Amino acid sequence: MPLLAACGSGESGGGGEGRSTEEDLKSILPTYRQSDTAIDPDIPSENGSSPGYTTFIPTAELGVSVPTPKGNGGTFTAMTPLWGTPPRAGNEYWTAMDEAIGVKMNWQTQDGNTYGEKLGAVLAGNDIPDLVCVPSWELGGQIPQAISSRFADLGEYLSGDKVLDYPNLAAIPTAAWQASVFGGALRGLPMPGAPIGGVIPYYRQDVFEENGWSPPTDPQEFIDFAKDVTSAKNRVWACEDMKWSSFVIHGVLPEKPNYFAMVDGKLVNRYETDAFLEALEWTRKLYDAGVVHPDAVAVQGDSKNRFTAGESLMFNDGDGTWHNLVAEQQAANSDFRMNAFDFFGADGDPVLWRANGANIWTFVNKTLSPDRIREALEIANFCAAPYGTIEQRMRGYGVEDVHYTIENGVQVRTPLGEEQVAPETYVFICSPGSFVAYPDTPQMVEDLTNWQKRMLPFAQEPLFFGRQVQEPDRFANLADRFEALEDDVVRGNQSISDMQDAVAEWRRNGGDQLRDWYQELLDSEASA
Amino acid sequence: MSQSTVPRSPKREGGGGPASPPPKHRKPGALRAGGPRRDGPPRARGGTEAWRHRLRRDYPLILMTLPVIGLLVVFAYIPIAGNVIAFQFFSPYAGDGFFQSMANSAWVGFEHFQTMVNDRYFWDAVENTLVFSMLQLLFYFPVPIALALLINSILHNKVRAWAQAVLYLPHFFSWVLVITVFQQIFGGAGLIAQVMRDNGWGDGFDLMTDPGFFKWLITFQVIWKDAGWGIIVFLAALSMVNQELYESAAVDGANRWRRIWHITLPALRPVIALLLVLQVGNMLTVGMEQFLIQRTAVGVGASEVLDTYVWDRGIANHQFSYAAAVGIVKGIFSLVLVLAANRVAHAMGEQGVYKKQ
Amino acid sequence: MSDASVLVDDDEETKGKRTRPSWEEPPTQIGLAAKGVILAIALLAILFPLWIVVATSLSDAETISRTGGLVIIPDGISLDAYRELLSGGQVANAMWISVCITVIGTLFSMTTSVLAAYGLSRMNSLWHRPLLMTLLLTMFFGGAGLIPSYLLIQTLGLMNSYAAIILPMAVNVFNILVLRAFFMNIGTELIDSARIDGAGEFRILWQIVLPLSRAVLAVIALFYAVGYWGNYFAAFIYITEQDKLPLQNVLQQIVVRGERPMGMSAAIGTGQIPSIAVQTAVMVLALIPVAVLSPFVQKHFKKGMLIGAVKG
Repeated sequence: MPLLAACGSGESGGGGEGRSTEEDLKSILPTYRQSDTAIDPDIPSENGSSPGYTTFIPTAELGVSVPTPKGNGGTFTAMTPLWGTPPRAGNEYWTAMDEAIGVKMNWQTQDGNTYGEKLGAVLAGNDIPDLVCVPSWELGGQIPQAISSRFADLGEYLSGDKVLDYPNLAAIPTAAWQASVFGGALRGLPMPGAPIGGVIPYYRQDVFEENGWSPPTDPQEFIDFAKDVTSAKNRVWACEDMKWSSFVIHGVLPEKPNYFAMVDGKLVNRYETDAFLEALEWTRKLYDAGVVHPDAVAVQGDSKNRFTAGESLMFNDGDGTWHNLVAEQQAANSDFRMNAFDFFGADGDPVLWRANGANIWTFVNKTLSPDRIREALEIANFCAAPYGTIEQRMRGYGVEDVHYTIENGVQVRTPLGEEQVAPETYVFICSPGSFVAYPDTPQMVEDLTNWQKRMLPFAQEPLFFGRQVQEPDRFANLADRFEALEDDVVRGNQSISDMQDAVAEWRRNGGDQLRDWYQELLDSEASA
Repeated sequence: MSQSTVPRSPKREGGGGPASPPPKHRKPGALRAGGPRRDGPPRARGGTEAWRHRLRRDYPLILMTLPVIGLLVVFAYIPIAGNVIAFQFFSPYAGDGFFQSMANSAWVGFEHFQTMVNDRYFWDAVENTLVFSMLQLLFYFPVPIALALLINSILHNKVRAWAQAVLYLPHFFSWVLVITVFQQIFGGAGLIAQVMRDNGWGDGFDLMTDPGFFKWLITFQVIWKDAGWGIIVFLAALSMVNQELYESAAVDGANRWRRIWHITLPALRPVIALLLVLQVGNMLTVGMEQFLIQRTAVGVGASEVLDTYVWDRGIANHQFSYAAAVGIVKGIFSLVLVLAANRVAHAMGEQGVYKKQ
Repeated sequence: MSDASVLVDDDEETKGKRTRPSWEEPPTQIGLAAKGVILAIALLAILFPLWIVVATSLSDAETISRTGGLVIIPDGISLDAYRELLSGGQVANAMWISVCITVIGTLFSMTTSVLAAYGLSRMNSLWHRPLLMTLLLTMFFGGAGLIPSYLLIQTLGLMNSYAAIILPMAVNVFNILVLRAFFMNIGTELIDSARIDGAGEFRILWQIVLPLSRAVLAVIALFYAVGYWGNYFAAFIYITEQDKLPLQNVLQQIVVRGERPMGMSAAIGTGQIPSIAVQTAVMVLALIPVAVLSPFVQKHFKKGMLIGAVKG
């Protein structure tokens, strides 16, 4: 495994440093084979956008990708993040899924917003669940080392044609698998994502149209508009925390390992860029202006609830939120409409950094026996069933007449479905290639795919795009503090110059060495 | 180290002294059954024979202490040794289990201590900790004394008992409960905000998320929770003041305030000195839960104290070695503070925490 | 370190008034009024917030929506929030967990502490001094630090087990010293005559010492129970499974973080039960055992006991 070893200075920790070369990947990655059950989308993919499905497929016409339960009745503990309210253990949805897969899942869901705190504690212990989900934004600190040392190398079961035992896994796009190679081995079961859509700026289309507003188109206009529409007295605020949107608007580089860009022949880190400070400054203005919902200032409650209740008119979140909100509101508030507005740049066109093929993975505990690992892969195979299959319908909607009913030719979630199926869990174990298929909310499918199509021309690949980079241990905690500091700076609790001091300190404490290390990585790959 | 201050206790530590004229001398049977006990002379004199005798006599007592000793050894003494990782680059992923991981982790000497000195967040945490401690010293500390004087002057017993019951109550609440009570009153959706909104006196009132106000907020919380309970020690001291002193002072024409100044406060002096020593010794420990729970609301910058810093670096972010180093430094400085405060107390003629040798 | 405990015999009558000594001047009207006002403010500062919490938790959706949140004067009474919370689900589960931790922990702590206090109550028993020092020293350095303790729990494999909450906080040296001081204070005559009758130490402890110590036992048991009931941090770092969390942690999630309790999303989301009623109801559940028990035990520390405590 010709990983970069030259720069490591014998520090502790598992896993090779550097990243797998294109050559290595050839022997590691699973073979791609399109699913037999795949069906043609109503809205075809364009330029990398997700295929969209708007027509409902009657249950009788659904394909079958897992004809019989493949599990052996084994019990698996699984830790996944969960946004929303966790359903009771032993609920009808989880039980039905267990029976269909042939296993018993023991979910240990954690609040998605504080997932990182628990994740560290769990991985450092010796009581690691059988399946552990790790989102890319929690890869800070020593988590990459933990992944390399605690989780199984799935290459033995999935590399090359071996994956063909699991047809739904074989149909996962190669780009997603490529981003699932950690420390030189295929360890992650990917949840593939669209190239853009990690941060989408949503707005209340119904409220906007009613008042004749149109979404803002530049940073200053956004602030002015936000001030106009905020009315604390009526409990209406313009937005939630827009920090992540601000990063996109100002073209700030993404997170590790994509946080370096080559500027005039020198690597520059996201924290060192003017764009980063400008993005914080702009967000800070929003907080200053009092247009951010006070609960968001206080980091309390759920921004989605405030958005649907009309207390805040704009917020940003991932693309997964869209359907859940629209579906949830269909019954309660038929006037509810939301949409995404187009990102604008700070001056001119925006820059949307392309995301890797997968940004959320589930890992399998390496202490499991090979048979148990195969059984775990069967769970993943079930969860990765593509659109148009019985398995996918069940994973996404639960049991017919219990969690959803068919009304006017589309499926509609029941209250039980909202409670048990909407807070997603199985989707984190593994998912098929990105698609947008919600016949119950066809308008939303069109809106999302259109947004992707409008935004994709502005998408760029970051310098270290596509693969994981394992940094040496000694740099592991360099950037830990930035997120908390960012949150303090935008709220006005600390100043921009505090952030500049922190960046200077980052350089001194290893940031410059980290830059050299990445430079060497590039050099050694170029000369290889 | 002194034993408890036990008024009217017939026994004094350091046993066997002339101060214990045991009534059991009058009971000849005592010798037969129990052998020479507290007052017996064969103290470590007779070599192994006497030792064996004492073992036979006392082994049930030793057995009784063993569960507690065992718990302390496991949960208080053994972990001290674990602090050696402060001189390592310890990674829990370097091996299976603690010992293997430790064996595989590199030694780095005092590197973490150096990092600590250069870390602005560390100094922020130190600053916050000291500021919070000082505020408590200034604003919390006098409250129980004043309340105790007030309660003590109530003659009506029923009123006294009820007042005490209410005042003690918040001490038994958990921090989570105390903070949630504060939130319902002072939070963005709390009572005050609600009243202001209803009356159109402006909106957006929220003391719970105001970083500038936080140091006062936590001081108020401490007062609310513990000031009532704090009076108990002063009440005890007050109940031991010789009433005749008051009477003769009153006869000499000293008014109420002069009596408080010349009799009551001097009587409270040892207790106040003791509590001050403890407070100073605990200067670097302002509590954990109170800050952890309110961390997200006011931001890390305003709320980070040394203990949460150690938690954040070590447990949330996995820098076990670094956090252990910070813990060691904190422990050493705390010890130094107690000893120093005690010295001052001795110099002022007070007893302090441990006895002057 | 001195335990600063003070054993006083506060055997005052609880009925009637103490009489004012003849030498003391009668209080002025202003003085009396000022005293009354200050006392009233102090008591209101404690009771009023608690009243609001209780009143809101018992109010129906209509009252709450009329007042805009918290309720000062209850109108429509509804037990829905409690019914929903206790009908199973996360809060009921957490409550049960907390009760178990508190009961088992307190029994365990009391057993070990009483044994140790008695074992250390004879001044010149064998190894008395080193054993006592082993206890006292821990008060001096205040524990080994968070990180080593945390790694110890991990190494012992106690993560996600309630032993990780109970064992590290089972021993409170201060409490043991209070018990010990009390035991040392018990008259020796009874004990000696029991010894003549051939009673062993365990029997003496059980049959003579403990029955004489009911009050101090109640007080110390309360201290331990309150500690277990109110603990948040241990579960926060050692319990990573959501459905194993005790009540304080669930309370924090629901009120401070504003989350909805597991399995209650529908009732709150549709507004059948206002979320403020649920929040305050959980607070009341966390408060009740303490509010009920502590004044009851307070009689004991009035009646003759221990008082004291710098950080009980």
